[in-house]
Amino acid sequence: MKLTYKFVQGILLGFLLFLVACSDKTEIVDPPPAYTPTPYELEIPYAFPTKLNIPGDNPLTVEGVELGRYLFYDGRLSGRTHPDSLMSCSSCHIQENNFEPGVDHPVFEGGFVHGLSGQQTHHVVLPLVNLVWNSSGYGWNGSFYNNNENPNQRQIEDIVTLSVIAPDEMYGDTSRVKALFQSLDGYPELFYKAFGSDQITFKNMARAIAQFVRTLVSADAKIDRYLRGEEQLTQSELNGFILFTTEEGADCFHCHGGFGNPLFTTHLFYNNGKDTIFDDPLDRFAVTGDPMHKGAYKAPTLRNISLSGPYMHDGRFATLDEVIDFYSHDVKWSDQVDPLMHHVLRGGVQLTPSEKADVKAFITTLHDEKFLNNPAYSRPEKFPDQN
Amino acid sequence: MPIMTVLLFFAFASCQKRNTTEESFGETAFHINHLIDNEELKTDALIYTNAAGNRYMVTEIQWFITNVRLVAEDGTEHIVSNQDEESVFYIDTDIPESMTINTGQKFPAGEYAGVKFTFGFDKAENQSHRFVNPPQSYMFWPIYLGGGYHYMKLNGKWINQQGKTEPFNFHLGIGQEYYDESKTNGALYNFGRSDSYEHCSGYQPPSVLPPVMGFIHNYFTVELNHPFTIGQDQTSSLELLMHIEQWFKAKRIYDHDEWGGAIMQQQDAMEIGIQNGPMVFELRNGK
Ligand code: HEC
Ligand code: HEC
Repeated sequence: MKLTYKFVQGILLGFLLFLVACSDKTEIVDPPPAYTPTPYELEIPYAFPTKLNIPGDNPLTVEGVELGRYLFYDGRLSGRTHPDSLMSCSSCHIQENNFEPGVDHPVFEGGFVHGLSGQQTHHVVLPLVNLVWNSSGYGWNGSFYNNNENPNQRQIEDIVTLSVIAPDEMYGDTSRVKALFQSLDGYPELFYKAFGSDQITFKNMARAIAQFVRTLVSADAKIDRYLRGEEQLTQSELNGFILFTTEEGADCFHCHGGFGNPLFTTHLFYNNGKDTIFDDPLDRFAVTGDPMHKGAYKAPTLRNISLSGPYMHDGRFATLDEVIDFYSHDVKWSDQVDPLMHHVLRGGVQLTPSEKADVKAFITTLHDEKFLNNPAYSRPEKFPDQN
Repeated sequence: MPIMTVLLFFAFASCQKRNTTEESFGETAFHINHLIDNEELKTDALIYTNAAGNRYMVTEIQWFITNVRLVAEDGTEHIVSNQDEESVFYIDTDIPESMTINTGQKFPAGEYAGVKFTFGFDKAENQSHRFVNPPQSYMFWPIYLGGGYHYMKLNGKWINQQGKTEPFNFHLGIGQEYYDESKTNGALYNFGRSDSYEHCSGYQPPSVLPPVMGFIHNYFTVELNHPFTIGQDQTSSLELLMHIEQWFKAKRIYDHDEWGGAIMQQQDAMEIGIQNGPMVFELRNGK
């Protein structure tokens, strides 16, 4: 593909650039028409929010998402080609494990991940599920949020950049990564189709990956079919649902959703009573500076949660049973414990063994096989250079 | 309800057209403020004592008012609607923008006697899934407990009888009638005060919960008689105040030690809130 001009998606920008280019050059060759990518229609599932967190300068396009999927899975995203130093998003975010490594990962023991430098990540991995509906902040402490004063800490695009350079992740260098992909057959053309230029920029790489991540939608678990009136829950699952959504029961719904909030999270930050001393330098307090936010973290979605151990920001619980036991008997009082944890002085919600089994049965109805096996989210068979 | 809204809209629109020559218009802006003992609320500060003698603090307050009306001196009511042509307003101490209601609507200039609104939602308005977007969607009230939305979440902590700070969630919404052997002679029957949900009919709940037999819609109307003027082409500024301590004392004393941290399943506790509620609010002229 020979291009004399840089084409940017969008008529106005294209036109502006055209003008700029015109003034620089005296002789104008008729430019080939800029490729217009096809808008990607994200379907809003039943009862899901209609407001999406998509930055204005990076709308979803079919071509962008396709490119993003390649990059998400291509181990050369680390900027290296030696088989030992390949790493991509999918090294830690694995589809069949709810885009988490999984507790039985062959390399990341117990699901605790480390980067190419060998350094372990500060917190355990978060799943990549329905993130396009999260407007309150990404990361366990929500340090990536839309109106952050720091423009490099706002969006999924910024998380991509961080993942590529951070020592506890890919430990790469964005210009080297960009140059490597420029040299790989097939990629420049995909960039042309997605962003109007076959000159690869790291910014466009991040944009494409973020687009792909925004399309990862889980909305067809058994609970969704129940909410849509298509399928009935078993007696035990129904018991669990009622317990989950009642204050006298397991009391999970204020933070983890229910019938009126099918995301199964508020994406908000709470101290859920795990500790009495708070010394993690990267808790919610680190973002807001409010001492009442010490020991607070984002309540993650419980969709497909049975696959995404170890649990809590520090991975202290290996199994869901341990989590349910914690909420039942082990909740600890502190000044910072969230008021919604109103069972705290009894040490928790005191579920009986059969109630615990019911709550677990309910949580299992949030398991979405279609999401975990959706071919559109899976590793491509071949990369654009046929590698 | 949508038909009503549409009718009102047309009535209002035609009114505007017909009257532009003879009548003049102005706007209103409500500023919401939460007070305890006439001082502006300080969140997370354990400095308050309620009428029952509980020392307490408030972390956050999230609430809905609906069907908000300006009452003109002649008794005519003018509905205040948001951009979606609905008279529904969500107020949240964590969201500063939500503390102002300024719809840009034009109301006839002149003298007004006060304001009326529904605290929470009446039965027809309280439909699950009417809000799919946060933060309103986070106010959902569990379907098993009646569905729809919390009218209010008032969260905080108090010092209990053992001297420990204990969380309270003073949440108001649809109440439930529970199966009570002593009242019903052991017969399972519907109290007939409200409808039951198909979802749960015939459902035998887990051990800790007696079956729900019916629902009680706990919304109430607030009437604030306070004269104000809407001047021609002017925005008249009004202050809508919530006197938090009144939730716990206006008519009946509410004692956190008696009711504990959670009341969504305790109609008797919510009932106190509902009786006190109409006296919690005050309208003042804005500064
Ligand atoms: C070495 C493992 C690793 C790799 C590689 C990795 N991540 Fe992550 N990811 C994590 C961890 C750990 C977290 C949680 C970080 C935190 O908040 O402390 C995370 C969090 C995220 C989040 C925030 C999710 C939320 O709910 O807030 C997003 C988005 C994300 N990663 C996307 C990506 C993308 C895209 C890539 C590839 C460019 C990538 N990650 C590569 C480990 C990894
Ligand atoms: C006050 C809000 C709140 C309530 C109530 C609550 N949670 Fe949580 N939940 C959280 C927060 C915050 C986290 C993350 C804490 C951390 O990482 O340190 C969490 C984490 C979890 C996790 C682990 C998620 C992961 O990806 O590691 C599970 C599972 C879970 N909660 C289940 C439940 C269940 C079941 C209940 C009811 C018995 C419940 N929660 C009640 C706020 C809450």
